Amino acid sequence: MAQDSVGLSSDYQFWMQKVSTWDQASTVETQQDTCLHLPRFQEFLRQMYEALKEMDSNTVIERFPTIGQLLAKTCRNPFILAYDESQKILIWCLCCLINKEPQNSGDSKLNSWTRGLLCHVLSAFRFDIREVGLFTQGLGYAPADYYPGLLKNMVLSLVSELRENHLNGFNTQRRMTPERVRALSRVCVPLITLPDFEPLVEALLTCHGCEPQEVLWPEFFDAVSEAFLLKKISLPTSAVVCLWLRHLPSLEKAMLHLFEKLISSERNFLRIERFVRDSSLPEAACHPAIFRIVDETFRYALLETDGAPEILATIQVFTRCFLEALEKENKQLKFALRTYFPYASPSLVTALLQHPKDIPQGLWHQSLQHISEMLREIVEDQTHGSYGGPSDCWFAFIHFGGWADVAAEQLLRSEADPPEAVLWLLAFSYSPRDGSQQRAQTMEEVKAVLGRLLKLLRSPGFSARDVQAAAGQSREEAPRPLECGPLIRRLLLNFLLWAPGAHAIAQEVITLMAPTREITHEITGFLDQTLYRWDHLCTTAPASRKLASELLTELRGQV
Amino acid sequence: MESLLQQLARFSEVLAVSRTPHVSTWDPATVRRALQWARYLRHVHRRFGRHARIRTALERRLQSQWRQDSGSGPAPDPGLTNFQALGRCDLVLALRLLQNRALREAVWHALLQQVFPGPGVPGADEETLQGRLAHLARRRAAVHVLRLHGYQESPVVQEDALLKTQAEGPGGLLSGLWERGPQDNFLKVLAAALLLPPPSPRPQEEETGPGTPNTPGEGHHELLRWLLGKADILAAFCRRLPAGVVAAVAGRHPELSRVYLGLLADWGRHLHYDLQRGVWVGAESQAVPWEELYGRFQSLCQAPPPLKDEVRTALESWKAQDGDFEVPGLSIWTDLLLALGTGT
Repeated sequence: MAQDSVGLSSDYQFWMQKVSTWDQASTVETQQDTCLHLPRFQEFLRQMYEALKEMDSNTVIERFPTIGQLLAKTCRNPFILAYDESQKILIWCLCCLINKEPQNSGDSKLNSWTRGLLCHVLSAFRFDIREVGLFTQGLGYAPADYYPGLLKNMVLSLVSELRENHLNGFNTQRRMTPERVRALSRVCVPLITLPDFEPLVEALLTCHGCEPQEVLWPEFFDAVSEAFLLKKISLPTSAVVCLWLRHLPSLEKAMLHLFEKLISSERNFLRIERFVRDSSLPEAACHPAIFRIVDETFRYALLETDGAPEILATIQVFTRCFLEALEKENKQLKFALRTYFPYASPSLVTALLQHPKDIPQGLWHQSLQHISEMLREIVEDQTHGSYGGPSDCWFAFIHFGGWADVAAEQLLRSEADPPEAVLWLLAFSYSPRDGSQQRAQTMEEVKAVLGRLLKLLRSPGFSARDVQAAAGQSREEAPRPLECGPLIRRLLLNFLLWAPGAHAIAQEVITLMAPTREITHEITGFLDQTLYRWDHLCTTAPASRKLASELLTELRGQV
Repeated sequence: MESLLQQLARFSEVLAVSRTPHVSTWDPATVRRALQWARYLRHVHRRFGRHARIRTALERRLQSQWRQDSGSGPAPDPGLTNFQALGRCDLVLALRLLQNRALREAVWHALLQQVFPGPGVPGADEETLQGRLAHLARRRAAVHVLRLHGYQESPVVQEDALLKTQAEGPGGLLSGLWERGPQDNFLKVLAAALLLPPPSPRPQEEETGPGTPNTPGEGHHELLRWLLGKADILAAFCRRLPAGVVAAVAGRHPELSRVYLGLLADWGRHLHYDLQRGVWVGAESQAVPWEELYGRFQSLCQAPPPLKDEVRTALESWKAQDGDFEVPGLSIWTDLLLALGTGT
């Protein structure tokens, strides 16, 4: 408590000086400085209130003898009063100054003074035009009605000026000068979260003049970005696109914000989808420049986290939402796919774009074959062609995660020999950087495991141990090295979900499979993703679905 | 319903008193009751906002009451003037009491406590009184900020926003004047306003005018737009003012001439030919008589072009629609054209 008050005292000195310098914030410099400090000053006011409300009036004056001055100067600064909740907190502080039991004339005088200041805050800034005041009064127009209406009209006329500026460019005399637009953007900073101002914020963002360089004040962008991410303002997609195109840091912050939300919550596809949709990124990404930046950020995040499944999941969800948004867009200019995925060949992208649900299940193997062949061609082509190499086409591939999942599932559900193309595809999706020899080895291993699993299917009954043996894990030996781990695990899990006899022993097998927390995490991720995918594909497999849900609940309960 | 109207009347009295020195007799309980009352009326506003019948009844009572009150004394008391005002009556009451120096200190402290209880109170800012008061203060600061720093280079725009806001008013400043009457005078003043000479360089094409407040040019547009939006006042305008005056206004404002012609056509079609007497008569007593119709068309045809030609063309086309008769008694338009002569 003592430490708090020491901190508050030094803050007090700092802010007292600031507020004195700002005065009424009538110059550009004082305006700029005020706007830069608004959030921190509000926080200080809050802290002051928390301290003041514990004291009675006399203690307040003892502790902070110049508090009257501080509050009075604050009241004279319209930018402070216009910001967020500062005016409310200021009023609360003033209420703390009131002496409930005035003993002498000094106390009464203070009360009277405080009363005056309070009234000033509540009904400050009357229009100087006396006739207007009398006129409106005479017609029953109370300030409570008048000011909201006036604000609305002022905003409307500014918006129409800006729009005219935008549409007519050089051709009209009524152009808003760039200096005026800049001044307007500066002045709006405290007011961004006021709902009446949304049209003006939107107009400032979307109406460009003809200047080659940026006209708007940079802190305006920062303030809008912040307010948008905290959901204190709602903007149409067109305005958000303009914000992000004109001010790159805002887009970066938006992506950071998304990552933070993803990291702090459990990996759950539905939640990821909600966060992604909430962020407005899919709609904005219909603009290729924004898509490219978002995409590159994802790629970077993948590299940094060494292919973390959360990032992979987010990329998949984002791509799906993006494609939905793209379809809904009915702009006349539709960009070619190549603009969004310049690092992959158009034919590959077109093949990947096809969602499994749009193709009859019987033909899935054909699509898989096609995709595999295309990828293989690019990967094994030494000259790297005109598009990127293996890492680029892998990156393109993982955007559309559905096909890798389908591949794994198909291998387990068909009794036939696994097609080489599909094996290759699976191996590639798990380890894109393997050399061809390594990959061939992986494919052999997978083929062997598959063979054993299918044999189990044909046998009358099997136990968990049998499954473990099929995976190649001997009962005494240590678990296999991790490189094959995830892929084989996935095959096993698919097997458990689809093999009729496996339901009973599923839980046991999983326990055997998951010695570490990480692997449990991986398995829950897989189950969640599978359920999510089945929902979207409208796969009807009630037994498998039920098993998956049960296993998921069980595993989640363990963590 | 009746009890609601009574409460409305009584609260209006309380609201009126809240500004006077009479509050020196109030104690904290009185203040609390007054605020509760205001809260109740706000609830009424929310509840019956969509209920047209009740809303209209309340509005009518409020306006008639206000007309009565404003007759007395030089500074009329705004108070509750229409239904919308009910939504903000607690704000108005709180503000008045807070600013009333006659309120005893102890009572004022109690009031402050009630109005600004502090952060612990549940409810969103849009709902609580302190939230709305703070919001109003915020908006006032916003207006100030914009006015001083956003509008520096363009006082013309500022005036428009100001005029517009006043014009919109509670139910409209002009509508208020219309309601309070005398209506004939109002219509004449309106016509005079619309006939004021325009300023020589058209103001909306210049970026910075001298910016004298309330130059007639800007007022014209607001006024006309308002009038065109009020069907009943427009009809009264066209009907009650003398033919020459309306013709002059129509000549100046083409939008008005179009509406006027429409009204005349409508009035004309309500007349039928009485064979026995050989005259055009109307079915109801309020119908515009032939003489008046003729007089109005005559004034219009004496107006300078393009109005004169527009009217002629309209008459010809209506005559043609009716069958293009040359014989009187079949189409009123034929008869009018015959009466008006060929004209120049």
